[in-house]
Amino acid sequence: MKSKQSFIYLLAFVLIVIAVSEFIGIQAVKVGSVKISLLPLVFAILITMILGLSIFRKGFMKKIYSEANVAFSSKYLIFIMLPLMARYGADVAPRIEEILKVGWVFIIQEIGNLGTILLGLPIAILLGLRREAIGSTLGLGREGELAYISEKYTLDSDEGRGVLSLYIIGTLFGTLFFSIIAPIMHASGFSIEALAMASGVGSASMMTGSSSALIATAPDMEQTINSYAAASQLLTSFLGTYTMVFLAVPLQRFMYKLLVRGDK
Amino acid sequence: MMSTGMNKYAKYALVLLLSVSLILFTEQMKFIKSGEGHITFGTITGLAVLWLFSFIGVIISTLMKKVPVKFLQEFPVLGWVSIVSLICCLISDVFVDAIANVNFLSITTPILAFAGISVADRLADLRKTSWRVAIVAVFVFTGTYVGSALLSELGLYLSGK
Repeated sequence: MKSKQSFIYLLAFVLIVIAVSEFIGIQAVKVGSVKISLLPLVFAILITMILGLSIFRKGFMKKIYSEANVAFSSKYLIFIMLPLMARYGADVAPRIEEILKVGWVFIIQEIGNLGTILLGLPIAILLGLRREAIGSTLGLGREGELAYISEKYTLDSDEGRGVLSLYIIGTLFGTLFFSIIAPIMHASGFSIEALAMASGVGSASMMTGSSSALIATAPDMEQTINSYAAASQLLTSFLGTYTMVFLAVPLQRFMYKLLVRGDK
Repeated sequence: MMSTGMNKYAKYALVLLLSVSLILFTEQMKFIKSGEGHITFGTITGLAVLWLFSFIGVIISTLMKKVPVKFLQEFPVLGWVSIVSLICCLISDVFVDAIANVNFLSITTPILAFAGISVADRLADLRKTSWRVAIVAVFVFTGTYVGSALLSELGLYLSGK
């Protein structure tokens, strides 16, 4: 019975957070000359994360962030996300011809995911990371990389610690990061279409961050943005593992040898 | 927590119902804030369709766990739901029109509220990560995004768009 009661607290808390976030609404923040629109979803995750910090988890807040409630949220988050995925069909279907016509562009942009290694690995080596760099630059550090690294090196290795750290950072800040970088990239000259395609990075919450920020930037292109992002995301879930095993792993091995040559 | 068979599906159905109800609530908040518009029968129909596609996706994903093909076993439930939705929406515009009644941004707010709560216990794990990996993370995230955007831009340019 106790857990049922605490679940009601959770529900009430979520309703309040949604109401507050919606009433804050869309807020535009200027960073230099770039206008970044912060959407209600950004406030929702900020509020729930900040209140979840241990200094706030006292008294009544402890009942909301009870062990059972936090466990429920992480176990069923994926199910709560499903209606979002169910929406994408309605965005993609009316534009399927247009998407198939540029289908090859969707496929080659998957290779762009190697950017994690091309940009991340040199920086990691420069910062003095070695085997940890392998785990933390192979990809976005989502479930696919986590599984691969733990199978090959176990999670209790330097490689494993690298991928786990990236996983934690991505889980906490991924959505926020992508909702900020998307408008910045647009301001630096990238087209909305290309950024929408790039939004399908392989993590649903990161994609949501990026694509909804793009929608705030160009509201009249909502369907294009959602359809391109969803199509590219779907392709990533088909091809992601293969890109990792056949392209990312060999590339990383080659670059790693090149970069740490002579200093081992 | 021991749930099997029908019981398990009933639980999934309820969680999905919770999810679409929260979307409805968010939509209502948006209407109150903007001072115009209201929930229509169309909104409810749209949410019902989203619920249905999600549930079908869950069932397929659960059934595929028993198929002896690794790729199908490991294909994420999120992917199954998008495929179900895509196929149904290609078959009939009825679904497209129904779903279009639901505001996209109303779907995102409740998800991120739960996402924030779900990571509450991970905040402490941040101490275990090094500042080096945090810096690397910025470049890793930027790398995949810029990499894909550059190739998309090039591809779209070459195909004359």
